[in-house]
Amino acid sequence: MTSTRLDTDLGPRLRWPASLLGAAGGAAACAASGFAAWAVLPAAVLLGAGAWLDRRNAAREAARVQAGASFAESAARFGREVMPKWSGHIENARGQMETAVAALAERFAAIVARLDATMASTAGADSREGVVAMFERSRVELHGVLDALRSATADSAALREEVQHLQRFVQELQAMAADVGMIAQQTNILAINAAIEAARAGESGRGFSVLAQEVRKLSAMSAETGRNMAGKAASIAAAIGAAQASAARSARSERESTAASQSAIDGVLAELRGVTDSLAASTDVLQRESRAIQGEIGEALVQLQFQDRVNQVITHVRQNIERAPALIACADGALRPIDVKALLADLEVRYAMAEERALHRGDARPSAPAAADTDITFF
Amino acid sequence: MGKTIMIVDDSASLRQVVGIALRSAGYDVLEGSDGRDALARLTGQKVHLIISDVNMPNLDGIGFVKAVKEMPAYRFTPIVMLTTESQEDKKREGQAAGAKAWVVKPFQPPQLLNVVQRLVLP
Repeated sequence: MTSTRLDTDLGPRLRWPASLLGAAGGAAACAASGFAAWAVLPAAVLLGAGAWLDRRNAAREAARVQAGASFAESAARFGREVMPKWSGHIENARGQMETAVAALAERFAAIVARLDATMASTAGADSREGVVAMFERSRVELHGVLDALRSATADSAALREEVQHLQRFVQELQAMAADVGMIAQQTNILAINAAIEAARAGESGRGFSVLAQEVRKLSAMSAETGRNMAGKAASIAAAIGAAQASAARSARSERESTAASQSAIDGVLAELRGVTDSLAASTDVLQRESRAIQGEIGEALVQLQFQDRVNQVITHVRQNIERAPALIACADGALRPIDVKALLADLEVRYAMAEERALHRGDARPSAPAAADTDITFF
Repeated sequence: MGKTIMIVDDSASLRQVVGIALRSAGYDVLEGSDGRDALARLTGQKVHLIISDVNMPNLDGIGFVKAVKEMPAYRFTPIVMLTTESQEDKKREGQAAGAKAWVVKPFQPPQLLNVVQRLVLP
């Protein structure tokens, strides 16, 4: 690169001095007049005008040099003072954006973790299937209780049948007691007849009379025994009747109680079934919604990746701005053109993304790649 | 015990995004904020795969891959480059350094997980 001193660069242009031209004009006027006295005045005017023009040009040149130096100084100050501030603000904005997006991603991570935990706790044997299995176990156990109740009722009915059999035996006993009474009565009639016949036989019938008396005593005892038997049989029959009535009441009560238990159990099971069905449906909804939210967050996380691309673009521009002051002015005070080519080359070498290069080339509306189809290369 | 995957990227948000995808798939995650930081964190523990950015301060991704390949404990650890860079010559640089795959950001988490599952050490 060429470097030119400031005074050369912006120095006086090559031209004839006006005072010299004025002097030449004056000399020419004098010569043309044959060096007449009247020609001195125009010659002096020409000389004065030339000197005046020279002074004016010198003042203008000095002002132009001063303006150039001021511009160089302001450009250098611009590079030294303004550009670092631009760079600082860009870096500050980039840092804040990066911090905010990182925090946002961290929150999303926490939400995803909690959703994972929720889905894990509502999935599998511990929840939906667990509740359904618990309901099935309860149903089986409660129906087992009902079966036990029905079995006890059946046993009770068998007992009542046995009691009915006993009553038939008691009736037979009563009939037998009646038979004993009848036999005793007939035996007594026979004994009376035997006693009459013994009395009629006189002395020879005395022994027979004693036998007849004994037979009458036996008859009386048989009759007494028959009455006792009938009395006991009646007592037993009454007890059995009472037991039968009690058993019948008990059976009725058992049937009613079993029916009530069945009804209550069916009711509880129906309610429980409703609760478990509702719970299972809620669990399904919860799982479905959790999966949907996870999907949404996944998409949000994909979009957050564009922060990385924006971050890089901003960083590349900032680094280029930081490089610019050195290319605007040099330390030796020499003024030279801004090295735009070097500045652009510095920017280009930093690019990492296709859209940066496309924008640099001047392509119309370069766009970032879509996340839908990830560019993957295996080596 | 889960498999451990190291993420090396100077963007904290990007590390978070990759970390979410990996953790949700059951991987343990180790993070490095650039190549030099990541090398300092590779202290002998088992790492089943490394995912690294390319453009990073201090030590870039290509330099990091070369350095990892010289570490006996991690010589065979597969490395996936995850970067915004999509130029073919850069990809060839990554391949020459020893990377196994090149994934361009932005990525879809399921597609990154496919790459990880295909390359992760048993």
